[in-house]
Amino acid sequence: MAATLSEVRTLLEVRQLGKRFAQRQGRDKGHEPSPWVIQDLSFSVRAGEFLTIVGPSGAGKSTLLNIIAQIDTASAGEIVFDGTPVSSRDPRALKPGIDRRIGYVTQDDNLLPWRSTLDNVLFALEVQGRLNDETRAHAETLIRAVGLAGFERYYPHELSGGMRKRTSLIRTLVYDPPVILMDEPFAAVDAQTRTQLQADLLTLWELGRKTIIFVTHDITEAIALGDRALVLSKQPTRIAAEHMIPIPRPRNVKDIFALEGFADVYEKIRADVQ
Amino acid sequence: MSVSALSPSPLRAIRWRTLIDRVLVLVFIVALWQAGSLWFGAYWLSSPWSTTTRFVEQILNGELLRHAGYTLAEAGAGTLIGGLPAVLLPFWLRRHPIIVAILDPFMVGGYGAPKLAFAPLFLLWFGIGMESKIALTASVVFFIVYFATLAGVRALDPRLVQMAQVAGASERQIARHIVMPAAVPNIFAGFRIAVPYAIAAAVIAELISSNRGLGYLVQTGAMNFDTTSVFAAIIAATLLVHAANLLMNTLEALLMRWRAPLQSMMES
Repeated sequence: MAATLSEVRTLLEVRQLGKRFAQRQGRDKGHEPSPWVIQDLSFSVRAGEFLTIVGPSGAGKSTLLNIIAQIDTASAGEIVFDGTPVSSRDPRALKPGIDRRIGYVTQDDNLLPWRSTLDNVLFALEVQGRLNDETRAHAETLIRAVGLAGFERYYPHELSGGMRKRTSLIRTLVYDPPVILMDEPFAAVDAQTRTQLQADLLTLWELGRKTIIFVTHDITEAIALGDRALVLSKQPTRIAAEHMIPIPRPRNVKDIFALEGFADVYEKIRADVQ
Repeated sequence: MSVSALSPSPLRAIRWRTLIDRVLVLVFIVALWQAGSLWFGAYWLSSPWSTTTRFVEQILNGELLRHAGYTLAEAGAGTLIGGLPAVLLPFWLRRHPIIVAILDPFMVGGYGAPKLAFAPLFLLWFGIGMESKIALTASVVFFIVYFATLAGVRALDPRLVQMAQVAGASERQIARHIVMPAAVPNIFAGFRIAVPYAIAAAVIAELISSNRGLGYLVQTGAMNFDTTSVFAAIIAATLLVHAANLLMNTLEALLMRWRAPLQSMMES
């Protein structure tokens, strides 16, 4: 019962979001305002939902996530987290991560090169003052779950691209933020590794059922992972379409093409992606 | 990937080759020195052999060690007194770019000013003891390390800071866990340049006025037309620089194990 209740609860809402970047000096003559990158963009995410967002390159996907993560300001509209408006126009009033309630797995792994795998995974817990036997054990469980056991003492430069991705993924999962944003985290790895990482992510997600907003330009990935997929338009970016993904879980990512319903939803999304 | 291509055995071969070639260069320099000594006469240019004998003699009777000890103490104290604020200041200024901009012309001026020309002033203010040499050394070290650290703090990848902020790190924690380790290679680069200057500054201040230290040995040697003593003292100063460099290398290797081997190899 609790599961159905939490599934209907809206956890995060983006309302009429707009973004334009500050004019660069001396770039254009006159005072023409800079164009909107994102305009009138609205959607909401339910607690425990895996939402994927598909959009072409340059559609402002990273900008959207940066605004949600409170790294960047919105120029219009607002973000409502758990019933409270959180966005701001003033860069100094931003609260990155909204008090650790939003985790962010960026496109680059952004691992700290002077920390070993284990210490990178423990970083957030350490700065949050939550490092104890229990959280350490949790970290070790995650490290084992993604196949990094034995590499705890390795530095990032000694790991493969896929391993670095896994480290950056569980570095966010380990401190358990209610919402996790993912910005094309698997874009830079080869196809085989990517499928494996997607399977790993789903396994981890099934364990905890976090709310995830996963941005990608890969339609197959959006279908394989998500409960629901949003399609972004070209700039100025807004939501062009929304598709429920009726493929039952647990899903086998490797054979996702063969599953019933895949071809249908793939065609629909492809038609909407400009 | 190119890192793994350099397996240990070629690396060892490169090291041996380097060592052998270094010995050859040393032999060449000593040969030139010997030739010069024969050409001009040992009175003007002492020979390598008599310099070596004098060097060993002065080591054995403790004179050289005592004077080198003074110079080292002055250079060491100056490096600490000048280096510590030079490392800390850019960290504090990281959040105040306006202050950095205001200070910039003064810092550039301080960096570029011929600080050795201040030696007579420092002697006047602090006397002919160690204090004046420490002051000169500190003023030399400060500006070099300041600019090196500042460059490191500025080169910081802002995405690492954002990552830490999202994870809930405070400003203090970011300075401690992100900015400091990221700047360590630059701080070391700064000290690597500054320490030989520090030793040179101490020696030159001693040359001008002192009753001890390697600079004093050079000065008295020259006054007595004893080029052998001058050379012995200069060699001692050079060896001090090498010892300091060795210490820095060890510290650096210890603190920066996280760097890819190729990266650190190319820089050392």
